[in-house]
Amino acid sequence: MIRFYFHTGPNPMKVALFLEETGLPYEVIPVDTLKGEQHKPQFLAINPNAKTPAIIDTDGLGEGPVTVFDSNAILLYLADKSGKLLGRPADRGQLLSWLMFVATGLGPYSGQSVHFRRAAPEPIPYAQNRYLREAERHYKVLDAHLEARNHIVGEDYTIVDIAAWGWIDRADFVLGDGRLGEFPNIARWFATIEARPAVARARAVGKDIAFKREIDDEARRNLFPQNYLVA
Amino acid sequence: MFESGTILVYLAEKTGRFLPNDIRKRKTVLEWLFWQVGGLGPMAGQNHHFAIYAPEKIPYAIDRYVNETNRLYGVLDRRLADRDFLADDYSIADMAAYPWVVPYERQGQNLDDTPNLKRWFEAVRGRPATVAAFARGEPYAGRPAVTEEGKKILFGQTAANISTR
Repeated sequence: MIRFYFHTGPNPMKVALFLEETGLPYEVIPVDTLKGEQHKPQFLAINPNAKTPAIIDTDGLGEGPVTVFDSNAILLYLADKSGKLLGRPADRGQLLSWLMFVATGLGPYSGQSVHFRRAAPEPIPYAQNRYLREAERHYKVLDAHLEARNHIVGEDYTIVDIAAWGWIDRADFVLGDGRLGEFPNIARWFATIEARPAVARARAVGKDIAFKREIDDEARRNLFPQNYLVA
Repeated sequence: MFESGTILVYLAEKTGRFLPNDIRKRKTVLEWLFWQVGGLGPMAGQNHHFAIYAPEKIPYAIDRYVNETNRLYGVLDRRLADRDFLADDYSIADMAAYPWVVPYERQGQNLDDTPNLKRWFEAVRGRPATVAAFARGEPYAGRPAVTEEGKKILFGQTAANISTR
């Protein structure tokens, strides 16, 4: 059983899709990040970085439960353990390369772009431009790679497609409405992923949870604690 | 293959060194490796950018990334309170994090505030392989980005001007 610590962000959604693709049994445990539940001691014991997703794998291969944090570490852990969605051994270098591309680039720069465009308390043109351009650059790199390819690594659907899907799903939010169309290979690849039945099931995860939605002062303090340090 | 995290994992798997096979120990190394590549690296990188390289000083951005670096140092410090290394033994997670703590002063951080992190930092720094690795890189440590030409190359990339196949 996988205890899945969940909020409705791109990173937890990657894990939701993997779980639905593989049919591993799981239970959803909501972590309301706008209310600051990620900062509570019980959650910090699972993820000292205070972010979602995290999992507890109650079947830790004999020695008790295994906790894992970081969406990409979770994908690699579950894939290595189950043998599913890892691609061919000969493609291991490419699998790791493109997984890291999502982990260090597509994710963080999409996140900074959203922060400065939508969440920062003041508009800062230099930062908005820097991160929008850097997010676009990552899209361009991925788009070029997907020319004449159906999947990011090798011939088969892997955890890298799942990891990238989590962020590309937010293209409108990160780059602007309708802009995915500027990257036709990504748009084609994304449509292929979207057609998978597991995607609809993944999107339904957590839909019935009444997470806090308003980005008010309380939410900002919980999401951006680094902006509120006492001098 | 590309990305420092990829190279570390690939070579660790190939050599059988610094990344255990035991599933629990292995996932601990990978958690902290991904924590570094997705967090400490990019956020300290943004810190460097706004504190040192950006053409204008933007207090909100500088504060955001200096404080986020500080938060991440705190996460490391708490992790290292009851252990010598990030995972069970010295691993690729330590090798990934250490070089990003080396420029702590430029990141506006004071290691005396995080004594466990400081202890770890000094232990890793003192390893003969660390000394040898940094000596190997010393001839190339020319800090190229401080020139205007270097800045144009590093910070001028857009979707339009990067080369495609």
